[in-house]
Amino acid sequence: MTSKQTTLFDKHANIFELSRQNTWLLWCCQLINIASLSAEISSWMLAVLALCLCWQALLNNKKFNKKTNGTAKAKVNSKISSVLLTIFALSGCVAIAITAGDLGVLISMVHLLTFAYVLKAFEIKQRKDFYQLFLLGLFLLASAFIFKQSLGFSLLIFLALLLNLVVLQQVFSPKRSLFLSARIVTILLLQSSLLAIVLFVVFPRLSPFWQVPNANSAKTGLSDEVSPGDIANLALSSDLAFRVDFKGKEIPHYSNLYWRAITLENFDGRKWTRVKVNNNEPSAEKAFIPLTSGKPITYDIIAEPSYQNWLFGLSVATTSEAKLSLIEDYTIQSRNVLSQITHYSLESYLQAPLDLSISDVKKQQNLAIVAGSNPKLERLALALVQKFPNPIDRSNEVLALFRNKQYFYTLKAPLLINNSLDQFFFDTKAGFCVHYASAYTYLMRAADIPARVVTGYLGGEYNNASSSLSSIQAKQGGHLSVYQYDAHAWSEIWLEGVGWQRVDPTAAVDPQRVDSGWSSTLLTQQSSLNNDLLGLYQFKKIEWLNTLRLQLDALDYQWTRWVLGYSSKQQYDLLKRLFDNDIHWKATAIIVSMLIITMVLLTLIYRFNLNRLKQKKVHPWLKLYQQILEKLAKKGLIKSVDMTPADFAKTVTQQFPVISKEFIEFTKITECLMYKKVSVLENKHYICHQKKQYEILKKMISNI
Amino acid sequence: MKLFSSVFMFSKQAVKGFISKRVERWLSKRVPGNYEHELSNRNIFIMPTRFGFAYLFFDVLLFLLGTNYQNNTILLLSYLLASLFITVMMHSFYNLSQLTFSSSAKQFTFAKQQAYFPITIKAKKTHFNLNFQHIIKNLPSLKKAQSQKTQSQKVNIEQCNTGEHQVVLPYLADNRGVHQLGRVKVFSEYSLGLFITWAMLDFSHQLVVFPQPKKLRSNHNYLSDLNDTPKSQSNNYLASAGIDDFSELKNYIVGESQARIAWKQLARGQGKLSKHYQNQQGSLRWLKLSNMPNIDIEAQLSCLCFLILEYSKSEHDFGLLLDANLSSITNNKNQPHMLKIVPSSGYQHQQNCLIALAEFKHDMVD
Repeated sequence: MTSKQTTLFDKHANIFELSRQNTWLLWCCQLINIASLSAEISSWMLAVLALCLCWQALLNNKKFNKKTNGTAKAKVNSKISSVLLTIFALSGCVAIAITAGDLGVLISMVHLLTFAYVLKAFEIKQRKDFYQLFLLGLFLLASAFIFKQSLGFSLLIFLALLLNLVVLQQVFSPKRSLFLSARIVTILLLQSSLLAIVLFVVFPRLSPFWQVPNANSAKTGLSDEVSPGDIANLALSSDLAFRVDFKGKEIPHYSNLYWRAITLENFDGRKWTRVKVNNNEPSAEKAFIPLTSGKPITYDIIAEPSYQNWLFGLSVATTSEAKLSLIEDYTIQSRNVLSQITHYSLESYLQAPLDLSISDVKKQQNLAIVAGSNPKLERLALALVQKFPNPIDRSNEVLALFRNKQYFYTLKAPLLINNSLDQFFFDTKAGFCVHYASAYTYLMRAADIPARVVTGYLGGEYNNASSSLSSIQAKQGGHLSVYQYDAHAWSEIWLEGVGWQRVDPTAAVDPQRVDSGWSSTLLTQQSSLNNDLLGLYQFKKIEWLNTLRLQLDALDYQWTRWVLGYSSKQQYDLLKRLFDNDIHWKATAIIVSMLIITMVLLTLIYRFNLNRLKQKKVHPWLKLYQQILEKLAKKGLIKSVDMTPADFAKTVTQQFPVISKEFIEFTKITECLMYKKVSVLENKHYICHQKKQYEILKKMISNI
Repeated sequence: MKLFSSVFMFSKQAVKGFISKRVERWLSKRVPGNYEHELSNRNIFIMPTRFGFAYLFFDVLLFLLGTNYQNNTILLLSYLLASLFITVMMHSFYNLSQLTFSSSAKQFTFAKQQAYFPITIKAKKTHFNLNFQHIIKNLPSLKKAQSQKTQSQKVNIEQCNTGEHQVVLPYLADNRGVHQLGRVKVFSEYSLGLFITWAMLDFSHQLVVFPQPKKLRSNHNYLSDLNDTPKSQSNNYLASAGIDDFSELKNYIVGESQARIAWKQLARGQGKLSKHYQNQQGSLRWLKLSNMPNIDIEAQLSCLCFLILEYSKSEHDFGLLLDANLSSITNNKNQPHMLKIVPSSGYQHQQNCLIALAEFKHDMVD
């Protein structure tokens, strides 16, 4: 009988149930946690997850409705059978395994994680199930950071974390209102953020322990194959490409901000491609050190992940960073694919010439055209060669043609048949930068001038708002944000004695584009093609909204710079700056030892005080007894240590019979207090009594 | 093998016993018994729960994830969670500190019944998720876990606002006797379940457990003369019942002889009364252990308990004589285990008698 009762009792003790409010809060929490990863999860999985959550919501609803009705069987019904759940889980896992090949390891893992997270919620029977769900949720939030790390997103994740913690806290204080719980959790998080920041700054940054699967996201930004019309697509994207910090120095004029990314030297009649040097022996490639002259400008670039190797810089750029490699065509490559925010600094010599002499092979490469692919252009080129012996004049003539013959710079270029440059140049006469750069380069090559196409970004949005945020870093100027829609293509021609000379045919067609950025007609075109940009365009027109946007961008820049780009190098620099250059390890050692010594001293003092306090803290009744002893000692009666109080009482009786009765009584009470085990009440009574006796004795002794 | 394992088990038990003894001694020094305790850093203990350790493990996982992906936001998150762990430790401690508990030491109950120990809580601020439980001591570990659940139930307070509150801690008494209960464990997992903070408070709780009352046949009188031997008792009673002078009518008590019921009065509808005689008042006022109709001494005590309650209810005078039923004892009246409570009545008397029953130790007889 009793054992049965015990088991029943046990079961009851282990049942864990969330309150109605908390159940729904948990549901919301799950929704938000999954939403944080929704961009990475494939649509079929999202459907499954949504289905599970709906199911969960229905179950919750049923459970609580029945509870209010008071039926006892509700619980049994509201739980779905574990067999069904297992089958569902297994089929889900199989589906994930099947699609794993397409999705890649990381995304499959994310699928598995979210799937497990949703299913776990169906069987919260014990407290530990709930804990597991909570930890899974945290992990979900953390893994969302693998894919996205912007400031806004991080804040959202922080809020989601807060909600998770509120759910957990509500378990332990269910009577507290949601608002109060949220407040307490916020306080908790704020208090811990202090230590977290210290840890973040000081804790050593370690290199990866092992290789992890990377998010194989689609490559973004420029590609190494360009055909006319390509960059126009990129121009519709308002994503950030990279940011530049000129370290407070003067920023070069907009028309000089040609951020070189890729040099394209091969043309097959349709598209421009890169020349692949020494494909067989990439390791044999010698380090390219460009010749430099003039005054350099230095700047930092923080590039967003593009999942490619290209980096951006103003020619002629040099660097001392090991993770970058300079290439002969004056482009910069990262040794690793940019899967993360990458921070690097460059030194550029804007006035320096590029390749004063080039090899014959190179020359031939840059003169090659597919003969007969664009016969009209070839004829025009021949005419130019005959008319202008000077190569510069030939080039200028072509640019003059662009300027005067009513060419249009437009995002909505008419489609060309077979990417025919003839068609563009003589018929449609409307196109984006690549059209002009291609046609110009083709013409130049046909006219016996080595020429090539360069792609990259032009200009960038100058944001001064960050200067107020980091006054130490940038006294004059904030930073430059370069977006995808700043993507551009231009040409380079090689001239004897000058080297590669940048020529931008776009400047001939739409001077505003090169001088200060997009013209308003282009912007309206852009926003009509992409609705997202409509908002941006409207934003830019309203001044206060624009400043707000710029400020947010500045905040995000600081976040990117200080948090996302905080590498071991930055850590080293910062710590060095904090503790100054002069402070060596000796000084550090002195500081540390001083700290330790003070701590030891403090603890010693504390201990010492405690001991003294302990000594002082004798019982009050013992004190009274000792005082009486002192008084008697003054009268010449000293109690030796080996004497018991009772013995001493006897001697007192002999010496001073006057106080014998009182003293014996006093001794008796003291002894009772010393040795007798008494209750608290009795103890009080004794102490009271002893006090009275003490007063009497005191008077009597002084009278002797 | 068996020998080894048994030796191992034995040594394990010995070590466990040794450790628990040391801990007990240390505890009694650090948190001495008192009727009032204020929680402070002297008597609060704090440890991560299993969930706390799991949380830390997950945090380390996050750190690895962040390091492997060289992802600063994940690292920042892991640092934040790690420092949250420490902050929660502080909050858990403050949730329990500054609470004052007081509780009276002694409680009485009957065997197989719940005893309730009231504990007064004085709170200076709002506290959350307070749990109370008696810790059973002096039991082998296996039995302990079981009896822990059956005997002392956990009492939970979700929220304890500022001011004075009372919580009642139930304890199921199973055996007659005077039990020294162990410490009261006050614990809380607030605020996030990462830490368990607890205090082992010694209120010197003492539980006096009276025997479980056992109902007796009602047609018998169990009161007897002090000097009667058990054997002659029933004869004596039979003889005395008829001879003595009638004195008064009293309310009938269960256990009195049916022969004494005043049938006339019952027929008149005056209720069930019993006839009482002069002589009986004089000498037949003793409840004797040895007169109880059972062989087992515990059962006899149970019967006595029942009778004491009955007689007290009807405000009868009675005395209590706790003697063993062994005949050898009757010869020697100076045996220390003989306990005599002079006839009297009233609540205090009943309480004294019951305490005597609870304290009675029959092992000494053997």
